[in-house]
Amino acid sequence: MFISLIFADDATIEVIKKADTIPSIALEDASQSYDNTFRFRFFKALVADLNVLSIFNVQRHYRTATFNDNDISFENKDMDYVLRYKMNEEDNGVLSVEMKLMKKNEDVYSKSYRVGKKDVYMFVTHAMAYDINNFMGEDPVGWMKKKVIFSRIVAPKKSEIVISDYTLTYQHIILKGGFNIFPKWANNEQTAFYYTDLDGNKPRLKYLNIKNGKIKNIIASDGMIVCSDVNNNGTKLLLTMARNGQPDIYSFNVQTQKYKRLTTYSGIDVNGQFLGKDKIAFISSRLGYPNVFSKDLTTNEVEPMVYYGKSNSACSVHGNYIVYKARESSNAFSDNTFNLHLISTKTDFIRRLTATGINEFPRFSNDGDAIIFIKNYKGQSAIGIIRLKYNKNYLFPLKYGKLQSMDW
Amino acid sequence: MKSIVLSSVVTALLVFSGCSSKEPAVDSKAQQAPVEEVKTVDTETVSTENSMVDSNTGNSASMTMSEIESKLPTVYFAFDKYDITSEMQAKIDAAAELGKSDEAKSLNVKLEGNCDEWGSDEYNFALGLKRAEAVKKALVADGIDASRISMVSYGESNPVCTEHTRECWAKNRRVDFKILP
Repeated sequence: MFISLIFADDATIEVIKKADTIPSIALEDASQSYDNTFRFRFFKALVADLNVLSIFNVQRHYRTATFNDNDISFENKDMDYVLRYKMNEEDNGVLSVEMKLMKKNEDVYSKSYRVGKKDVYMFVTHAMAYDINNFMGEDPVGWMKKKVIFSRIVAPKKSEIVISDYTLTYQHIILKGGFNIFPKWANNEQTAFYYTDLDGNKPRLKYLNIKNGKIKNIIASDGMIVCSDVNNNGTKLLLTMARNGQPDIYSFNVQTQKYKRLTTYSGIDVNGQFLGKDKIAFISSRLGYPNVFSKDLTTNEVEPMVYYGKSNSACSVHGNYIVYKARESSNAFSDNTFNLHLISTKTDFIRRLTATGINEFPRFSNDGDAIIFIKNYKGQSAIGIIRLKYNKNYLFPLKYGKLQSMDW
Repeated sequence: MKSIVLSSVVTALLVFSGCSSKEPAVDSKAQQAPVEEVKTVDTETVSTENSMVDSNTGNSASMTMSEIESKLPTVYFAFDKYDITSEMQAKIDAAAELGKSDEAKSLNVKLEGNCDEWGSDEYNFALGLKRAEAVKKALVADGIDASRISMVSYGESNPVCTEHTRECWAKNRRVDFKILP
């Protein structure tokens, strides 16, 4: 039976109930190298990745097998798919992984991977899940292989900027010791990022090239400066600057280093996002509370994009879709709830994406397939992934510190 | 701001664990750990970066400046607001008088806007900034030269109180005065 409201063309329509079954999959570890601790770690990471694909019922039992055996384990005989893999430790600590996907004793797909050291094994499991997803004919999940960059507040005015995988399993602190926030990838290749340095007399936007560690000063502004968006080819930025104490949105040409003020309202205009060729979406307090607006840069026409919620203070745009953060209460004396909502500029539908806690900083993946966000709940920060198509949320907690902002 | 570019992670650790450097430093060794694919045609590249940047800054404050700073108020604000109450206006007026005094008139001030923990987005930073700007306007109205005043917003990232209580949140919705030479 299939009871659902699925319109593949409109992500604001929620899948209410999907009663037909999705295929089952079990894992079989045929590794000869490494100890059990590492084998379990790899297994768990692979199970988590396959779960996030949302296209399988993933069997969580750890089972072993011989890689070249034709038959699957007796315990897995009822599984639709069996993913058998074999880790091997090569010279110089290289981790190589062979995998094959089996369907009823028949190999249907196989691939191998190598990575320079076993500590970055999670990128292998992400790549395996990505390939299996492709093999199953699903929309690509390229975001799974991308890196997340986030800033973490570790003490008042002290932060770290960290590069991680989307599950936060791999974490590398790339910038520490100062007060640096709002990291934003500078290009699709993720070889450099912009960030705000708050240590000097004036907030300053800087550019850090990850390949050589070099930092460039970009532009400074009194009050605040944030890189809110980078266009597709990395040549234009949308900045929030406050050159006279007045937060407004500016476009910035990376090549000429010239900027242009795009908004002039006397209250708060922040969080500019490119919306097609000649438009931006942004957050403004021009109606007395923060809300999502768009501005046509050719006609200067400004219009609200969201008609629900009294405090919508952050947004991210992909194509016709806008995800925004809405405050569900305006009480200074109780726990506030902030939820994420999805709207389409083509329809009036609104879909609530989260239910509890403080959910903020939504960011679409490049392909619009998923949304990443920050969740703060009961004193813990986590990164959340929303699979729009499957109506599923996944949380990956941060071990220490508070997430300030992130990009992927 | 100075930046020191170091050549490796190890160097950075040696330098920065051994002393409390006050200058930002960059460790620039970017190692690649590619995931290569074998047997199949497609090329898989999964890379990770191992560079690390350390960025420390410090400030030197003279006793006189810190004495003056200790006499300056903290201006508090209501939830989601940046208007100044009459009680806070009186504090700002007193600060302006101090700013015009012989011992302080050559000094500059940085107004640091802060917010409570509800939100880490740009809007919260802008709210902190509007609070700083409101204090700046009040100081200018009291006769302080605008060129002596700079502003910064720290959003929710500089709390003086970290408990999850209403009293704590109220303490964090504030503008601090920092004296600059």
